[in-house]
Amino acid sequence: MAKVSVERRVEIAPADNGWAGRFTAMGSPCEVLLDEAGQDLTCNVSTDVAAEAWRIEDKFSRYLDGNIIKRINKAAGTPVEVDEETAKLLDFAATLHELSEGRFDITSGVLREVWQFDGSDRIPDVAVVAAVLERVGWGRVAWQRPVLTLEPGMEIDFGGIGKEYAVDRCAGIIRDARCGAGLVNFGGDLAATGAPQQRPAWKVGIEGEAADSTDKLIDLRAGALATSGDARRFLLCDGVRYGHILDPRTGWPVQDAPGSVTVAADSCTQAGMLSTLAMLQGGKAEAFLEEQGVTYWVRQ
Amino acid sequence: MPSAAADAAATDMTTLNRKLAAATCALLGSALVTPVDAREEPDWDFNTSLLYYGEDGDRVQDLSFKSLSRRLFTDDRTLSIGLTVDTLTGATPSGAIRQDIPQTFTRPSGNGSYEVPADELPLDDTFKDTRLALTLGWRQPVFEKGLFDVGVSASKEYDYLHTGLNASYAHDFNNRNTTVSAGFAFAKDSIEAVGGAPIPFTAMRDVGDLGNRQGDQDKDVLDFVLGVTQVVSRDLLFQVNYSYSRSEGYLNNPYKVLSLVDGVTGDTVQRTPGPEGGPSGVFLFEGRPEERTQHSLYAQAKYNMSGKVLDVSYRYMTDDWEIDSHTIDLRYRWPIGDRSYLEPHLRFYTQTEADFYRLSLDDSVALPAFASSDYRMGNFDGTTVGLKYGWKTRNDNEMSVRVEWYMQSGTVPADQVIGNQAGRDNYPDLNALIAQFSYRFSN
Repeated sequence: MAKVSVERRVEIAPADNGWAGRFTAMGSPCEVLLDEAGQDLTCNVSTDVAAEAWRIEDKFSRYLDGNIIKRINKAAGTPVEVDEETAKLLDFAATLHELSEGRFDITSGVLREVWQFDGSDRIPDVAVVAAVLERVGWGRVAWQRPVLTLEPGMEIDFGGIGKEYAVDRCAGIIRDARCGAGLVNFGGDLAATGAPQQRPAWKVGIEGEAADSTDKLIDLRAGALATSGDARRFLLCDGVRYGHILDPRTGWPVQDAPGSVTVAADSCTQAGMLSTLAMLQGGKAEAFLEEQGVTYWVRQ
Repeated sequence: MPSAAADAAATDMTTLNRKLAAATCALLGSALVTPVDAREEPDWDFNTSLLYYGEDGDRVQDLSFKSLSRRLFTDDRTLSIGLTVDTLTGATPSGAIRQDIPQTFTRPSGNGSYEVPADELPLDDTFKDTRLALTLGWRQPVFEKGLFDVGVSASKEYDYLHTGLNASYAHDFNNRNTTVSAGFAFAKDSIEAVGGAPIPFTAMRDVGDLGNRQGDQDKDVLDFVLGVTQVVSRDLLFQVNYSYSRSEGYLNNPYKVLSLVDGVTGDTVQRTPGPEGGPSGVFLFEGRPEERTQHSLYAQAKYNMSGKVLDVSYRYMTDDWEIDSHTIDLRYRWPIGDRSYLEPHLRFYTQTEADFYRLSLDDSVALPAFASSDYRMGNFDGTTVGLKYGWKTRNDNEMSVRVEWYMQSGTVPADQVIGNQAGRDNYPDLNALIAQFSYRFSN
């Protein structure tokens, strides 16, 4: 989860069909599209959605002092008792770790201390990476619901789950508001509660090679889409390209990962996990997605 | 890897997705999940059809292939390319009346003649043509709520060349519940009649004599249309259009003649064909006004009754040739399951005759300024009864089969029937079968 947004304001504007509520959360532009609700209802629903997004951001951002993540990361080896929501996310992370055979790991964030994907050729020293890797591994974590104990120096973050989780929670708010079908879009990770009324489907563009260009148009009637990958984040050294997807088992970038992977699934969380797991498969990303029998789009 | 192991690995992978779904469900609660329905918007969309139109009694048969290909770009911009290939064969009424003796006629080309037996409707059986038509269109959203369409068209048959351009603009108001549109089309056509276009009211000549023929003729057509579409409720849509059409230039059918008849008996004035053959009677080529202005009003309502859609429309057309017509069209789309439907179709059409419509020309009075015996200029009713069955294929392509019967019958005004004509069937009835197969697919 990225830095806390400075300005917390919801803007309501007419959209192509119906109304849109826009705000910033988790470092991403966020949007609620409702095609049957009027301006007032869109305002109410968007305000509730934004409040939920900011709540999740405040609670789980690793940049904020005083929240549960900070308490866990600062515990220095002492056990921390967590609330039900955090426990559910930790259970989920544990399952993901197991399903991905260790490739998905919420303790891998500390690797960022040595890897900065800024397009330069600064490849960290093997020994340095090995040293940091000593503080990585869900296997070293003691998770006994509701108590979590990290070894000193270890950290967790929900950066790989938080946004998708927020999208699904917010889609639930739209569903409960009974304001017709809606679309929640948090920086390209999105979910639709149903098909819009005034057109056959929500039109979603997948970003192309260049920023602001649209590569593919997807008709989304229901369910969710999530995209992993950022082809602009890499290192280049001695003709070798190091993508920004790190394998927490080695501490080094996954080889031959695609530029981006977009997956369609029933929930944004599921779509997001599938796209993340695919990226972690590196060159076998497409084969992995093929085997899952999901609808996906891969850009190399 | 041995295949059993490969299978095991594959099973393992699908288990992964299932386990992931279960974990997601535990995290979110199942109420927060909707089954996904996402697909890539196709780049190209193809609408193709094969149509057979056949009139009974060896009259016109048309086999027509049509395709409309559309390339969809982002932001609803669309390129469309239409292609039509028609092959027409068969005979069409020449406009001359029946006689109780055999009649001979010179072919439109002037190269030869044909004979029509006694008491039979004179049909010109040299009707044979292939038509190739192309359209090109571009659609572009403008000003947020507007849609601009522009297009060009061209078609070529043996004796006809059409070129046209069109543009229209539609604007949405009222939260997209109201759409107002305006458009125009301009066509410049060239008639390159076989043997040359005959000078109106000149008589059909002997074989080889093209002395009364002229070169290519031109026709310009300008159309305007104004429309309003209103979404009345979620289930009811209403549309009204007004259109104006102005044609100028050569509006004759260069192959149609009228029999010149005796003012008392009503029988065709006879002549002696030349040595190479030629007409057995006096047949004058038709002459229509060189201008025509049409106004038409069209109203349509679409009503959705929980999936069953009733589509009703009415058109009133009037023009300065004094043809007034009314069309009522009814369609009822009846879904059968999720993937198919049946659609009965009923259409009624009626029109009054043009003020220059004549069954024949009376030789005892002065010729009128304009005259045509073309049955399409006459007073007639047409009924279409049809049934369409449509279905979606497994990969969401659409197919349909349509079969329709068209029945047309007309009457000749009593004051135009002279002498012996009274006992004859003066207005040729027309029955046609229409069969169409359509296939819509995308990629």
